[in-house]
Amino acid sequence: MPRLALIFFAALLAVTTAVTPALAQYRIGMSAAITGPASSTYAPTYEAYKAYFKRVNDGGGLNGQKVEITYEDDRGEPQRAAANAKKLAEGSILMVNASTSATYKPFMTESETEKLPLLFGGGVCPREAFPPASPLIFCSTSFGSKWDSRFALGFIKEQATGKKAKVGFAAQDIPLSRIELEFAEQLAKEMGLEPIPVVVVPGNTPDFTPFAQKLKDAGADWVLSWALWHVEVGVFEALSRVGWQGSYLLYGHQQTQDELARLKAGHLYAFGGNTLFMENLPIHAEITNLVKGQTTHPPHYMAEGWVSAMVLEAGLKKCGWPCPKDKLATALASVSVDTRGLRGGPIEWTADNHYRKSTYYKVYRWDPSKNAIAPVGGWTRLEIK
Amino acid sequence: MAFGGGYFKTTYASDLALIDTRLRRVGLGLLIVSLLMLPRFASSFALDLVTQTALAAIGALALNLLTGLAGQVSLGHAGFIAAGAFTTAVLVEQRMPSPLLALPAAALVGAALGVIVGIPALRLKGLYLALGTLALHHVVLYACGEFQNHWGANTGVSIPPPRLGSWVLKGTIAWYYTLTAIAGLVLILSVNLQRSRAGRAWMAIRDREIAAESVGIDVARYKVLAFVWSSALTSVAGALFAYQRAFVSVEAFGFFLAIEYIAMVIIGGLGSALGAVLGAAFVTLLPYGIDAAVAALHVPGGAEYYLFPLKFGAFGLLMAAFLVLEPQGLVGIWRRARNWVVLWPLRYRPLRPAS
Amino acid sequence: MTQVLATTVVVASLYALLAAGYVLVYRATRVLNLAQGDMMTLGGYFLFLVAATVPGRPVLSVVTAAVLSAAAGFAIYRLLMRPMAGHPIFAAVLVTVTLGILLRAAIVLVYTDRIRHPLPLLGLANPPRRLPGGAVVSTFDLLTVAAAAALFLGLFAFLRLSPLGIQMRAAGEKALLAAQRGINFQLLFALSWALAGFAGALAGILYANNVRLDPSLGILGLKAFAVALVGGLDSLGGVIPGALIVAAIEVLSVRYGDPLLADVSPFLCLLAMLLVRPWGLFGTREELERV
Repeated sequence: MPRLALIFFAALLAVTTAVTPALAQYRIGMSAAITGPASSTYAPTYEAYKAYFKRVNDGGGLNGQKVEITYEDDRGEPQRAAANAKKLAEGSILMVNASTSATYKPFMTESETEKLPLLFGGGVCPREAFPPASPLIFCSTSFGSKWDSRFALGFIKEQATGKKAKVGFAAQDIPLSRIELEFAEQLAKEMGLEPIPVVVVPGNTPDFTPFAQKLKDAGADWVLSWALWHVEVGVFEALSRVGWQGSYLLYGHQQTQDELARLKAGHLYAFGGNTLFMENLPIHAEITNLVKGQTTHPPHYMAEGWVSAMVLEAGLKKCGWPCPKDKLATALASVSVDTRGLRGGPIEWTADNHYRKSTYYKVYRWDPSKNAIAPVGGWTRLEIK
Repeated sequence: MAFGGGYFKTTYASDLALIDTRLRRVGLGLLIVSLLMLPRFASSFALDLVTQTALAAIGALALNLLTGLAGQVSLGHAGFIAAGAFTTAVLVEQRMPSPLLALPAAALVGAALGVIVGIPALRLKGLYLALGTLALHHVVLYACGEFQNHWGANTGVSIPPPRLGSWVLKGTIAWYYTLTAIAGLVLILSVNLQRSRAGRAWMAIRDREIAAESVGIDVARYKVLAFVWSSALTSVAGALFAYQRAFVSVEAFGFFLAIEYIAMVIIGGLGSALGAVLGAAFVTLLPYGIDAAVAALHVPGGAEYYLFPLKFGAFGLLMAAFLVLEPQGLVGIWRRARNWVVLWPLRYRPLRPAS
Repeated sequence: MTQVLATTVVVASLYALLAAGYVLVYRATRVLNLAQGDMMTLGGYFLFLVAATVPGRPVLSVVTAAVLSAAAGFAIYRLLMRPMAGHPIFAAVLVTVTLGILLRAAIVLVYTDRIRHPLPLLGLANPPRRLPGGAVVSTFDLLTVAAAAALFLGLFAFLRLSPLGIQMRAAGEKALLAAQRGINFQLLFALSWALAGFAGALAGILYANNVRLDPSLGILGLKAFAVALVGGLDSLGGVIPGALIVAAIEVLSVRYGDPLLADVSPFLCLLAMLLVRPWGLFGTREELERV
């Protein structure tokens, strides 16, 4: 027994000090919330990347080189993200972060120290990707801080048709959700709407009813929510339960298509940057056929990750070979990608703008008369200045 | 050390010395030399692992002081680490990021928290004490969360690398030396506390509180002292944690962190400083061991989905196994191994004649 | 106002279902089962397992899930808790924590962290219901209250009136004497763990249908243990006022105070109780000295 323990220890130490050899390929490191509470939003990005670059590599790679991506799970926790950042930075020419906003800071610090370009592919775009952009920070994600609120409130104002609508805000007790909706509250006042103070909901509350009651009693005509899906939907379901008659606008994450069909509520509006797969564009069929059997999430969860992978591919292609990290950063800063309908328009980056020149939003809701999900209007374009 | 080798101590100095035999001195020398030379041979990743182990060991030693030595069960350890880390964050926000200020401040905050926790804890024993500390952990985290939301940067506080005068502590190797040295200091402190009057009082309280009281030990004072020492050290560990991670956010200090530290002292062996260090090494290295094992087995794609529950489950399984099968922990295994080596080919120690 | 009352009763019922599990286990084996929340999650996932395999059969799914959870509780006692007899209580509590970790790891291994909704698979709906006084709750909210009431009535009847229940109480109080009377107390301890599993399963099944099912539901268990402690760890009767008090404070702090305080308020109650009256509202006093 003691001998076994000693052998076990020696093996543990030996195996953890093993070093992986470096090969000549495009070496990318990706940290995503593959497991953990936020995984249903971010794990599909990881799966999309795997499927996408498997196709790329099977087709001979880019510029004759294969793309090798190392995937690490950070569970949406900053501590693990910090460890992953250090691990992935070694030998990579770019890091991808598809995880919660809490993991951003360690990655940005590592990116700055190692002069490594950092691509945000799943989580909300940080301020550093917007003009004036930091040279190393890039973001392909469809949702962006402050721009989402600008669109959402514009949509609400439009739907309210002249009447001064009372808008409530349901935030989660995570920093970015609170900041965003507090900004929205301020913006609503400026836009001529009547805001109600933000209601902050703890993520693990057992019953959303008290929060819904607060919004209902304040007389909200519209409620805007921008948080992780289970909080957005939890507040909505509670509001419906207490007999609230208003309309609810939330940011549509990957689950939108499934959940709109489950809830079948005509007064629930989901806005987002990605086209839902029910529109059945050619790219949707292509993705569905390609990821068959490869992913644990359904194909219609793949949109966000797919666009991110497209952008990365374009950047790598432009960089050529050999592609050191500084050359890649320059190449990415001039990339222009046609998203083939997955987004409302192309992703165009400039030296100053690593988010995109224009961003597009579309709103979907369950249409009870058609008994299906239907878009509400077309794409709305906002210029990013 | 009772191995009957005819080795006698003839001066007070040799009685007080931690390292008394030549073999031990040589062993210690070898250990120090190998630790100093490690950066030459080990990869950056391995060095980082040792650094993490050292940091965990500081916290584990502090917890061992409270739970192993004084017998005061505490599930609120993560709260003290958070307190230390957030003290550093507050100071950074107030533009005073120097470690010369942050470390003592963290120790003071920890000590104060120790008093706040220790005094009500006098009323509670065993299970209720554990639950009380758990409840307190949630309250401390709530306070830290509120700080983060209202005063700190909402997305967490970035901690700049610590600088002492003109020297900046950056890079794996520098951190390795620093944390290993600090862990060594805390280890010596821990061992000395164990041998001191306070340590003996704590052990007496742990074993039989009523007997300790009847012998004249001021139980209340020593219990609070245990909390104060433990939480001060833990807060310092938290401040180091903040500097090393360069980032402080309340999500990192959940209940699972407290469980990890408890696991370290339990798997290591309750009441032993060596146990705390061994346990810290075990718990820190285990997830990486599993990572490497899975990588070596070349499990087909999708392994990332299984890795976390696998690591999580393995941690739980091992902790349960140690609790059920080997309550004395790794130290117990070590002692049995050592006895086996020393006594071979005999199995048991010779019986002493009644004298 | 009536809405606040209705919400409080609903939340209290959920906590009461969980706290009943804590009390049952504590009375028998003197261990605080910190894995109760994860046993609730397990019950929910058993329901999902059956509902996904044979959709559209609510009664079968619920009954199977409850039976499986009870069996799990039984097995947990035999395999994990019984070898811990004689170990210090703290070690036994830690073993339950590791059990929670293991359960959670197993669930995530099989089902990943995705949020699941068994309700449509069962073929049921959860429409809102208007109560007299203007409050509105969902159907499953009412079912939760009904289930809690039924469970407690059942437990009271069982423990007070049936021979097996009286034996269980005897074994919990003084196992040695009970053994000398010929009572198989190991079986009764296992049964109380099975009952705790059943109570957790009820909570999990109802919550999964009412709100959602995901592996991190165990955190509700931590809040519920505050309820159990406030009421008295060995008092089933104390659970009801304990649950009502904690739920009321939580709901009121959301409505009229800081919503984030609602998250930490069960623990504040717990701390207050521990400082003032560690054995809870209705617990037996000597529990304090015993540990």
